[in-house]
Amino acid sequence: MSELELALTQIGRELDYPETPDLTGAVRRRLAEGRRPRSWRRPLVIALAALVVGIGAVLAVPQARSAVFDWLGIGAVTIRQVEGLPEVELATEDLGVGDRVSLEEARGRVNFPVRVPTLPGYEDPNVYYGEPLPSGQVSFVYGSLDKPQLLITQVAAIGALEKLVNTATRVEQVSIDGASGVWIEGERHFLFYPGADREEPFRLVGNTLVLERNDGVTVRIEADISKEQALRIARSMR
Amino acid sequence: MHAYQGIAFRTAYLLTGNAADAEEAAQSAFVKAFYALGRFRPGAELRPWLLRIVANEARNRRRSAGRRANLSLRAAAAVTSGGAAPSPESSLLDAERQSDLLAAVNGLREEEREVVACRYFLELSEAETAEALGLRKGTVKSRLSRALDHLRERMEVDDV
Repeated sequence: MSELELALTQIGRELDYPETPDLTGAVRRRLAEGRRPRSWRRPLVIALAALVVGIGAVLAVPQARSAVFDWLGIGAVTIRQVEGLPEVELATEDLGVGDRVSLEEARGRVNFPVRVPTLPGYEDPNVYYGEPLPSGQVSFVYGSLDKPQLLITQVAAIGALEKLVNTATRVEQVSIDGASGVWIEGERHFLFYPGADREEPFRLVGNTLVLERNDGVTVRIEADISKEQALRIARSMR
Repeated sequence: MHAYQGIAFRTAYLLTGNAADAEEAAQSAFVKAFYALGRFRPGAELRPWLLRIVANEARNRRRSAGRRANLSLRAAAAVTSGGAAPSPESSLLDAERQSDLLAAVNGLREEEREVVACRYFLELSEAETAEALGLRKGTVKSRLSRALDHLRERMEVDDV
């Protein structure tokens, strides 16, 4: 990217956007009222109107299924449920977290607030900085790189990562202090960066909490821990 | 839906320049998207598909309102926080130059401004920009190239 392009990107992050209104309620009302666009064909509308009743109805329509699961995307992570996981060469020796840095250095390299857990035992992570995304990624590794016990990743991006889960994996929506997220538990699943400048290997990950903080930062907490423990860690991040 | 409402609203706002129009456009887009879900091609990317609907709604509202969108920077963006050393990226432009560059963007032709907004402000890929704006990827490339040339010219003039 040229300096001008970088400057434009920088400006984009500092534009004076009005606060995003909560569109969900208004959209639900309009759907419930049947205020559909005039151009849609009536039979299609009637058939799809049933979908308004709830997600369960939507899931019953096979061709809509993948799209609906896409809508479970949280922040920078899109969660895509597939019938079968791909056969890939796993990056088992590389977490893809980048270079070891100090917390101060990591904070200086990104344009978003990096928060650290204050829960006892989690206050002093090994900090890594990488750039799988142009806006940078800060990772906290607990344990060693080859035997990580817990990984916390923070990025500021939208739709930049994808998780592939299979149908046996449980995906549950959660909320912490107004931030929405999902808890992914069950069979192992994959994480990768679609459309990244360089090929990013698929990474096999365990249970994961993905949260989109209100400041636009997406936090992933990945470990073989319970949902409750992951939520406790997330709540303690300051 | 919750995951996409932020990007949908920002897209609509960049194209309308008006919060009320942006909210209305984003709402309508979600309603249309919901009704069109059955026609969504399995395996395709949802975000650019949704943003295309948003962009169409926003353009319609902008045209009917007959006004151009003028974007502005957050007031906080002009202030260096806490005396901390700026990151390499944030040191690219000072506040005055940022305002000049944004004014230059605001002065671009609509078709160029739209691709700049999608590609750099929303940080969409070229492919996503093309999908969202209903253009061919080659058209996005050429419009971006022209837009950048115009911005360079404008910024050079301002330096005189």
